[in-house]
Amino acid sequence: MSVDPHANVELPAALAAKEVEITTFPEELKAECDAIRGRYETPRAALMPILWAFQRRFGYVSQEMERVIAAELEIPVIWVRETVTFYTMYNQRPVGSHHVQVCGNLSCSLCGAKETLAMISEELGIGVGETTADGRFTLSVVQCLAACEEAPVMQVNDRYYGRLDRARVREIFGGMG
Amino acid sequence: MPKLTIDGREVEVAPGTTLIEAARRLAIHIPHYCYHRGLSIAGNCRMCLVEVEGVPKMMIACHTQAADGMVVHTDNDKCREYRAAILEFILVNHPLDCPVCDQAGECKLQNYYMEHGTAGSRVDEDKVKKRAKAKQIGPNIMLDSERCILCSRCVRFTDEITHTHELGITERADHSEITLAPGAWLDNRYAGCVVDLCPVGALTDRDFRFKCRVWYLTAVDSICTGCARGCNITIHVNRDRPHKAGGTRVMRYKPRENPAVNQWWMCDAGRYSYKQIDHERVDSAAVDGRPVAVEQALDASAAALKRAAAAVAVLCATTATNEELFLARALFAGALGGHAAYLAPPQGEQDDLLLLADQSPNTRGAQEILGTEVRDPVGWVKAHGVKAVVVVGEADLTGLKAEVDHLTVIATHPGKAAAQAHVLLPGSVHAEVEGTFTNHAGRVQRLRVAVPPIRGAVETWRLLLELAGRLGHPFDFAFEDDIFAALASQLAPFAGLSHDNLGRRGALLGSGAPQPTEVV
Ligand code: SF4
Ligand code: SF4
Ligand code: FES
Ligand code: FES
Repeated sequence: MSVDPHANVELPAALAAKEVEITTFPEELKAECDAIRGRYETPRAALMPILWAFQRRFGYVSQEMERVIAAELEIPVIWVRETVTFYTMYNQRPVGSHHVQVCGNLSCSLCGAKETLAMISEELGIGVGETTADGRFTLSVVQCLAACEEAPVMQVNDRYYGRLDRARVREIFGGMG
Repeated sequence: MPKLTIDGREVEVAPGTTLIEAARRLAIHIPHYCYHRGLSIAGNCRMCLVEVEGVPKMMIACHTQAADGMVVHTDNDKCREYRAAILEFILVNHPLDCPVCDQAGECKLQNYYMEHGTAGSRVDEDKVKKRAKAKQIGPNIMLDSERCILCSRCVRFTDEITHTHELGITERADHSEITLAPGAWLDNRYAGCVVDLCPVGALTDRDFRFKCRVWYLTAVDSICTGCARGCNITIHVNRDRPHKAGGTRVMRYKPRENPAVNQWWMCDAGRYSYKQIDHERVDSAAVDGRPVAVEQALDASAAALKRAAAAVAVLCATTATNEELFLARALFAGALGGHAAYLAPPQGEQDDLLLLADQSPNTRGAQEILGTEVRDPVGWVKAHGVKAVVVVGEADLTGLKAEVDHLTVIATHPGKAAAQAHVLLPGSVHAEVEGTFTNHAGRVQRLRVAVPPIRGAVETWRLLLELAGRLGHPFDFAFEDDIFAALASQLAPFAGLSHDNLGRRGALLGSGAPQPTEVV
């Protein structure tokens, strides 16, 4: 599961500050989204890249953004909800500056992903879906990262790290700002 | 046209026909969950896997198109092995709470499991629990996500049929579940259909829930009386168990497939109109407000009608069956030389799926049989010098009693008509008689007896026959089909039709014979 918006985990102050209020389609994304829309035959097909554009801009896709996007594309809001919740790559809430995404799928599980996750959780001192108080790390479990040969695998922001053990995880996190 | 072999039998089908439909032509049932003929093809449940010779993997019959020379097996060892495996997968997270599940007895999971499942599961992982058990998602609908097999039928219904998009599947893999759109409520006019569509106990009807185990129900073919569409339904009756549900006899309506009328659907207004059948019925005859035996009331009515001689009329509501309308015409306009007309049907809302503004099931029948529509009963009796009137059904008759010497009302429910009557006779509703309605498009459709007339009431057609006898014009009709036979022989649009040849799907006026029936 990705960062579950239903999990009643309170956002640390550092993240709460990253929340944005969106009630109308943001002007600054209009041109980009129009261009995306123009590339597809149906508005529904443009949904994923538009969601991505929002996430790049705001760091996450809120339910208000889902509504705004649905209205703009003239599609039912439930279609947007389905897409956002299906893909672990869409953040439903703001995440820390280092988004730790641990693969929980088959190959990784066979190589001990469950234990790896527990270990990472212990190292960071947070559970799945939570963010460290300083707002630096958010921990998520994601689906196959298509790097099974390196299992167990995690992705931090846009980088992959494989063959994880405690020493390697400490080294990775230690080197992060 | 592709010709293929299914389980050793040849069949020729139109190009583009899927294997599941080709098999249906041979009356071969291929187990399925997500496939429904009224919805787009989703192909997600994999229950319909069949073997096609020469193709290395198993194919889903709901999506694979028939090709010339194909040899298909739907029930060999390999198919049975796959089906058992698919069921094992589907049941991985299923709670198996059949003893407390309202769907038990009409659940495709239970049924297929008994036929195709394997004993025991090999999964010893914990089941993934969904967020909420038994959650209300609309005025009439409960959702129990744990039982959902994610076939997406309900989602496709709200996307493709009602275009209301209240439902979706959110999250992924074994966390997936049916979810209401943000801020939505499953309250569209046809919402009840998702319960019919759901193959398992995930969507249940709040109205029916826990009222009655389905194996105590008897299903009888009938027609909805909610509007002029005449949706085909089955009436589900709890026979011989009067100690249950406070003596209520009729438990629910379910839509019955008729491609020419309602496809697979019905509206909620129609669906829940069954409640009228057992609710506050007129269950005794009365003369001037005093309860009397039906015989006595008939005598009183006949005496008053005799005094009026030919200055008599019958006014029928458009809820009367064709048979009742025909008897009314034969007696009043024919034998007695008076008048027969029908009351203008009440109008309501309409939409672009099924619901029609005309809220009566038999306006077209009344047009064909009685011809004259009456909007202003008082003005009409005045204009025709009518002295005694019989009204069949409910209508606003304000002022009519003062205008005539006598008013007999055959009523099923207390209402504006019954309140005016000199003589009140307790008649029957559609569920209590054999008969026919003619829908807005001229399709004559059968009603079957689901329950006898409620205690104290008499079939409306029998009341009319009794009156005819007392007025010296006995008709030689033993049952409703005799009346229909006379109707068909006298009114050209009905020529050639009979109760027997109308079949389960009815036949159009003027067709002379029923349409060939399709395999169901
Ligand atoms: S609720 Fe029923 S109809 Fe809807 S997806 Fe689940 S099993 Fe299918
Ligand atoms: S559309 Fe009319 S006939 Fe059909 S179910 Fe509704 S009320 Fe009854
Ligand atoms: S299962 Fe983890 S990367 Fe594929
Ligand atoms: S019925 Fe064919 S896949 Fe579900």
